Amino acid sequence: MSKEELREELLKTLSDSVVNFEEEKVGETAQRVLDEGLDAYDAVMNGLAAGMEIVGELYDKHEYFVPELLMCADALYAGLDILRPHIKMEDQDQRLKGQVVMGTVQGDVHDIGKNLIKMMFEVAGFTVHDLGRDVPLEKFAEEQMRTDSDIVALSAMMTTTMMGMKKVVEMIKAKNPNVAIMLGGAPVTKDVTELFGADGYAESAGNAVQEAIKMISRLREIQK
Amino acid sequence: MAAMTSRERVLRLFAREPIDTMPCFSGQGMVTVPAIETLGIRFPQVHLTAENMAASAMRSMEMFDFDSAVVPYDMCTIPEAFGLEVSIYENVEDILFPTIPKKWGTPEEVQIPSDYLQRGRMPLVSQAITLLKERIGRTHAIGTWILGPFTLAGQLVELDVLMKMSIKARAKVEALLDKLVDLIIDLGRHYREIGADYVNLREMGTGADILSPRMFKILIQPRLRKIFESWNSPRILHICGSTDLIIELMNDCGAEAISVDHKNTLSESRSKIGSEVILLGDYDGFTLPGQASFEEIEQAIKRCIESGVDAVWPGCDIWPEVRSDNLKVINSSIKKLGNSPTPAVGRF
Repeated sequence: MSKEELREELLKTLSDSVVNFEEEKVGETAQRVLDEGLDAYDAVMNGLAAGMEIVGELYDKHEYFVPELLMCADALYAGLDILRPHIKMEDQDQRLKGQVVMGTVQGDVHDIGKNLIKMMFEVAGFTVHDLGRDVPLEKFAEEQMRTDSDIVALSAMMTTTMMGMKKVVEMIKAKNPNVAIMLGGAPVTKDVTELFGADGYAESAGNAVQEAIKMISRLREIQK
Repeated sequence: MAAMTSRERVLRLFAREPIDTMPCFSGQGMVTVPAIETLGIRFPQVHLTAENMAASAMRSMEMFDFDSAVVPYDMCTIPEAFGLEVSIYENVEDILFPTIPKKWGTPEEVQIPSDYLQRGRMPLVSQAITLLKERIGRTHAIGTWILGPFTLAGQLVELDVLMKMSIKARAKVEALLDKLVDLIIDLGRHYREIGADYVNLREMGTGADILSPRMFKILIQPRLRKIFESWNSPRILHICGSTDLIIELMNDCGAEAISVDHKNTLSESRSKIGSEVILLGDYDGFTLPGQASFEEIEQAIKRCIESGVDAVWPGCDIWPEVRSDNLKVINSSIKKLGNSPTPAVGRF
């Protein structure tokens, strides 16, 4: 088997194993990528992320749902944890260099959507400043200022918790109108996003992943 | 016939008997800040005493001409009774509903105390229902709600753990759900015995934007059926979020009434479930009472009725910071536009 054939095979195994949430197999294959001297960044983008792209399509077609997304995410992390330390400096230069602050707003302790989108940002190469959940509102603006992040991603699962996001948007935009603010969560709609003055939204964990996948897909296209 | 009381209107709707006009009510929280302010208390205080809970529900009902009063307001009363800590956000000025900051790591860790009705704020909820029964029970309906087994499990165990275990260790999740089903049956009966006219089962963590219809059928539906088989009418099943894919499964759980939110395609749902079952929904409890113009409100109410609901009610808790005029227009529009027969309920 040529090196290129081996590369293709391992990338496919990584992708398939993410889709089939085979955590152990992803870990073993990621290790094999390193053992064979193949490129770690290539394996992340064209193996793991490619698999997550398929997962997103399956979610879109109502074949996968949130539990499946979570299982796939675990599988992806099993590979990412092994491969990430071995990404070469020159590849790191190619990666997106943005920084993102994220968290669920005070009053909300549901963080599934936030954690899924965090994973996709990490795959894409962003530096993620995860504030966790039930985060006091002023903390988002403070962290954005401290890190000079380009994006702030806020999440709230219920109507009863989403109003805090409006205040965060106001606080951040008052200090830095150029920061892109993404809202996520079941109660968030296009109207709410506009009303709150945010820049984008995803109404479910799956949609959030879809949005992030589009971003990564564009990156993969650029690199081809 | 003498003028119908609010309570009669609600009970007759659930019995599918003719009514004079559509009731204005909810199966979710509908406490409002304007009502709380007249009581001289702050939002966190409505959760902390039976008097505050009952008085705020009653005042919200009176101010906006609702046909029912609903308690409690937060989803933490049962987890708290099980021993989990609750954040009430007593010192926060914004409207924040109580939360559980730290849940159990696995379903096996959950312990259900036999005296749960005497623990935490459970006695307050019971007292609040009793107070409402004493004060308004002759004229107005008293509503309450309980989380469905999966949604309640998600308040007890980290939701991501619960969801993943639903695939890879389903038996452990099922064991917890079965214990919770027994508790929910018991609690629903208790609420009815002390004066609640209706209990809404809120299984909002199981919509098709979260679980597959297949998993709903295997994991959720049999348990909802068991609950509804054990409860007396009226039996209401509420699921918010994406319900188009599971509306027929919802209709096959044994409830007389199905409640959905604005993400449901109402007219399609009505044609799928037929005209026997009571359909409740689905206005946006944030936008309509808090943001919309009067014209938008009337259009939204009209759309709900034309799409085939038997009562227009909010698809989730009403966001407490309502514009008083908006909520008054919502309820007057429902009364005005709801005077014709609906698919499951006739008119005098």
